[in-house]
Amino acid sequence: MKLLLIGHPNVGKSVLFNRLTGANVTESNYPGTTVDYTKGYMQIDGEEVELIDVPGTFSLDPKDKAEEVAVKMLKDNEDSIVICVIDSTKIERGLYLALEIIEMGYPVVIALNMWDVAKDKDIEIDLQRLRELLGVPVVPTIAVSGWGVKELVSKIKDAKPRDISKIESKVEGTS
Amino acid sequence: MVKKLKDMKFGKKAIVRGIDDELKSKLAGMGIRVGKELTFKTKQPIDGPVVVEVNGSTTSMGIGMADKIKVEVID
Amino acid sequence: MECEIDERWKLVDRIAEETVTYGDGKTTLKDAIAELTVKPLTGLPIALAVLYGFWSFFSAFAGFFTDGFFVRLFDNHWLPWLQGVFPGKGSWYYFILVGDPAAGNSFEAFGMLTSGLFVAIGIVLPAITAFYLYLIILEDSGYMPRLAVLIDTLLHKIGLHGFAIVPMILSLGCNVPGVAATRTLQTKKQRFMMITLLAIFIPCGAQLGVIFSLIPEFAGIILLYLLIGFIFFGFILHKVIPGKSPEILIDIPPYRTPSLENVSKKLWVRTKGFFTTAIPFVLLGVGLVNVLYLGGVIDWLAEALGPLLTTWFGVPKETVGPLVAGFLRKDLAVAQLSAIEMTKYQLISSVVLVNLYFPCIATFIMMMKEGSERGVRGVLEILGGSLLVLATVLFIWGGLLHLIWIMMGVA
Ligand SMILES: Nc1nc2c(ncn2[C@@H]2O[C@H](COP(=O)(O)OP(=O)(O)OP(=O)(O)O)[C@@H](O)[C@H]2O)c(=O)[nH]1
Ligand SMILES: [Mg+2]
Repeated sequence: MKLLLIGHPNVGKSVLFNRLTGANVTESNYPGTTVDYTKGYMQIDGEEVELIDVPGTFSLDPKDKAEEVAVKMLKDNEDSIVICVIDSTKIERGLYLALEIIEMGYPVVIALNMWDVAKDKDIEIDLQRLRELLGVPVVPTIAVSGWGVKELVSKIKDAKPRDISKIESKVEGTS
Repeated sequence: MVKKLKDMKFGKKAIVRGIDDELKSKLAGMGIRVGKELTFKTKQPIDGPVVVEVNGSTTSMGIGMADKIKVEVID
Repeated sequence: MECEIDERWKLVDRIAEETVTYGDGKTTLKDAIAELTVKPLTGLPIALAVLYGFWSFFSAFAGFFTDGFFVRLFDNHWLPWLQGVFPGKGSWYYFILVGDPAAGNSFEAFGMLTSGLFVAIGIVLPAITAFYLYLIILEDSGYMPRLAVLIDTLLHKIGLHGFAIVPMILSLGCNVPGVAATRTLQTKKQRFMMITLLAIFIPCGAQLGVIFSLIPEFAGIILLYLLIGFIFFGFILHKVIPGKSPEILIDIPPYRTPSLENVSKKLWVRTKGFFTTAIPFVLLGVGLVNVLYLGGVIDWLAEALGPLLTTWFGVPKETVGPLVAGFLRKDLAVAQLSAIEMTKYQLISSVVLVNLYFPCIATFIMMMKEGSERGVRGVLEILGGSLLVLATVLFIWGGLLHLIWIMMGVA
């Protein structure tokens, strides 16, 4: 099993990566900190799993070399599970990227990171409903403190490919 | 009143009404889309970049891009 | 395709409508600072204050450790002890390892274990520790993207854009991560320009540290001359090199309070990196130059290059030794220069030369690596291109400084 950390720049992928693998890749508060991928290893239920920290990207249509690396990692690792990291305070654009990746057929787990910041800004997210609509695991996390990370890991095995039209009809059906 | 983003005044809010096709998807990825409300934060002198806030996230773009976005000022 | 994109956004909007409610997030102190630091009227003075803050912090921190501790340790204890116990005074190995047996301070002894260790640990280590600490706080606070916005106007005029400040600032720590960070620039033209300019004009933290510690009175003029060169040659490269120069488009994160955990972890990782990669190179550099001295190579080079150095650049031919050392470590080269007998104008010129003339070996390798993604051709392009620019800049900018001194009547 192979895991990829994909998401917009500066959402906390590298913090999560360090936490999960014990590595020391650079974490900084500006977009574009990570410009190349890093591989690491972690244990899930006694099995050794490869986890890859990837540069952030705003879309799957890369505009610079760092984003190219991100898209290439996705294309080169078609058998992997994607942990899509979203900044909870910027959930819409994060969901857009997540939907794109789901459409490509990857099994996806969504980490709603920066949950603490969203709380501070009084942003409320109906997790239950979001899980229903998307049909993929959605876990709130605070990467810097480690809150929610255990649950995130426990949900990885529940990730499976999801048909986008199913999401569409779920959404249609409710309104 | 519809005008170009680059002609907005500091602190004003507006609704995005149009974005040139070439920029559309690039800006959308960053959260700036037609129909979204934005706040004009600052503009740097001598044709420097502008700073806008949309949905609580702040983006800076060159004046050339701000020239290709139409907005309707609401306040 | 277009339609597909719109459709996906519509889906996102529907999902968000149902699941997300935005409260009226209150404006916090951080938001207020966020505005002040990016508005031109307040932002520019704040940027200057940040720079000044760096200078004060650096002087206090590095001064405290270097002058207050390491100078005493090395000069009063280490050097006399080593000179006393080390066997074989007058032999070649004594010369290489300890250097001048009569030297009164570690700095002028020129041995691997005297000057080498002193420069590496006594001068550069405190300097880069101070440097990294400040840099890490800049990185973690979220200030860098704001600086990018403020500087964009200037940098866009030379074909880059504001975000190029990130590779520039990282280069001030060390050019190697600086070169890697050029990947966030959009076009090949911008990346080539940035890599070339930073390899030529931006001194690394170690080198700056030595300049600040040993010749602080000239630091201002040296940096100013390099900065003007950066902008001037940037402008020319922009005109000469074909390709696109897209505008800035960046996300500005909120300010965050740097966590002690992350700051200390990064500081540790980088300082450790310095110990494992830089210190061996400094020692090697001293050793190499000493071996070349013993073999007569330095004297031969000094004779061969002497006319060029003295007539064109206006620096004494003794600067050859440090220039050779500079291939390995520029910090070492600057330190060795400051020990050579010459006028202050010649010293300024020679430190500028060390900066311009060749990227250190680690940067050079990193440049090759960046090119290598496009195969042999990529490597040749980046090296050929950069070296060509470098040679041109070296002659023009190095020679011009000599000309300036001549016109001022001081050369
Ligand atoms: N408050 C808060 N800050 C966080 C959280 N996760 C990450 N951060 C901070 O967000 C910043 C970005 O984290 P990184 O891990 O470097 O982001 P990244 O996604 O790897 O970014 P790129 O490498 O640029 O793509 C850092 O300053 C982190 O300390 C979180 O859950 N809460
Ligand atoms: Mg990262």
